Amino acid sequence: MTTIQTENLTKNFGDLCAVDNLCLTVDKEIFGLLGPNGSGKTTTVLMLTTLLSQTKGNASICGHDTRREPEKVRDCISYVPQDMAVDTTLTGRENVLIFARLYGVKNPKDRVDELLAVMELTDRADDLAKTYSGGMRRRLELAEALVHEPEVIFLDEPTLGLDVGARKNIWNHIHALNKKGMTIFMTTHYMDEADQYCDRVGIINHGKIAALGNPSELKAHLMKDVITVTIDGEYAPTQLDGTLFVGQLGDTISFTAENGREALPLLVDALNHAGNRVKAMSLREPSLDDVFLQSVGKQEEPKGFEEWKFRMMLHHRGGS
Amino acid sequence: MEVPDDAPPQGWIVKGVTTYIYRDFIRWIRYRVGVVSTLVLPAAWLLFVGLALPVKFTGNYLDFITPGILVMTILTAGISSGSLLMFDKILGFLNKFLAMPVPRESILVSKILFISVRGLIQATIILILAVLIGATIMNPLQYGLTYLILFLFGVFISAFSTTVALYLDDHDSFAAFTAMVTMPLFFASSALMPYDVMPGWLSAIAHVNPLSFAIDAIRDVGAGSIPVIPIVLLLVFTAVVVVLSGYVFRKVTV
Repeated sequence: MTTIQTENLTKNFGDLCAVDNLCLTVDKEIFGLLGPNGSGKTTTVLMLTTLLSQTKGNASICGHDTRREPEKVRDCISYVPQDMAVDTTLTGRENVLIFARLYGVKNPKDRVDELLAVMELTDRADDLAKTYSGGMRRRLELAEALVHEPEVIFLDEPTLGLDVGARKNIWNHIHALNKKGMTIFMTTHYMDEADQYCDRVGIINHGKIAALGNPSELKAHLMKDVITVTIDGEYAPTQLDGTLFVGQLGDTISFTAENGREALPLLVDALNHAGNRVKAMSLREPSLDDVFLQSVGKQEEPKGFEEWKFRMMLHHRGGS
Repeated sequence: MEVPDDAPPQGWIVKGVTTYIYRDFIRWIRYRVGVVSTLVLPAAWLLFVGLALPVKFTGNYLDFITPGILVMTILTAGISSGSLLMFDKILGFLNKFLAMPVPRESILVSKILFISVRGLIQATIILILAVLIGATIMNPLQYGLTYLILFLFGVFISAFSTTVALYLDDHDSFAAFTAMVTMPLFFASSALMPYDVMPGWLSAIAHVNPLSFAIDAIRDVGAGSIPVIPIVLLLVFTAVVVVLSGYVFRKVTV
């Protein structure tokens, strides 16, 4: 039985198609859903966690249909949104205890102690959560999410806003959970993390999967070298045999080439010939960023305000 | 985790409700300014309006004004029920809770119950204070009926405010809504003066104001009668709003 399976999962908001006939299978792995803002990542997660109903198609978690048996689905999943929603006026222990009671686990107190130990929070368990660092709050949320031993955990931007050490720590925990057989479904903006830790990634754009696979495989689809060119002014499209245009991000254009060293001088000529003014060039190995750029194409400027920032702001105002 | 199929958790809703109430209760008492404010505000109203207001419309004005202050306190308390839900919604707690197998309705029920009972605690302070400064002491049945009316009214208001909070997207709109509702409702009710001294237009509004309904019922209790019809009607209205709120909650959270 596959842990997560979707068939033509579609969500329309009025005229806007947020998720478009998504077919996805995820099983006992760390799966990263990547995509620009507004690409349908969160909508997908909300549908899979029974928080939003789809317009068409279906999804099943651990063999249970998300529409027909939502309670059974909720029994085998946990959802950690990106908001860092912990009750700051409660202690770490109280926060987890509330979840243990809500899930109706047996011996909630023992279970809470056990999880606080796993998440390395035992020392601080009886301090108010408002004294916790970002990384500790995230670990507290993981402890909450684990009380009923779910088969799948959905993590929305789990390392957002954390420092390097805290991120690594969170990833080690996620990795350990996966080793024990848990399926991890996460969204992230951090390509380097997805590259390093995810077994498979799916790049989603305009509600459709644009690339899917193991990060190394995806990188292998590109040629061996990546050449990035910084130009002055508008980019005039340039063709050169042996190189392939990857994408544009601001004034930086990326190409991929089988032999970058040899392609470099030729590319300069070709670019100049096409009417571009080259300011700088560099040569490196492909990263998941390049895969992303190629799948997503020219990125639009993120429009409007970013809601999570607004939420963080509210949170810091001490609204809870 | 394998959940046995023979465990459709009877009583799970109770567990959910008590746990959610426990959460809100701890958050409330740890937020000391909040506790002080909920306790001081009604006392201040009673003292300023009951004792210091230069106009006296009736014989023992304190006996007259106390039901008004009681119901107003329940109104302001009840309106904040939506605020609790609103913060859970914008801070991401609601989504976490909704993704759990515990019956979703227990979130709604817990907010309504917590706020209504917290309102009754405030009411108790007012009742004690009123007696201390010269209101007539009632018999236990009268106090019981007063609490019943206040509780029903509290459930009515908090269910209403929760429903509105489910529809609105941010806290600022919700704050605007509460400000818009609370004050006009209070001043256009029979809280401060009897109907016969009101201007005709105000009296007309006050007669259909749900606030007056609860206030008048408590005054009837104080006068020694048992207002069966108002209590039954209040029960019906409350039931309707609760059912409506539950319906909206289901619709919004699917």
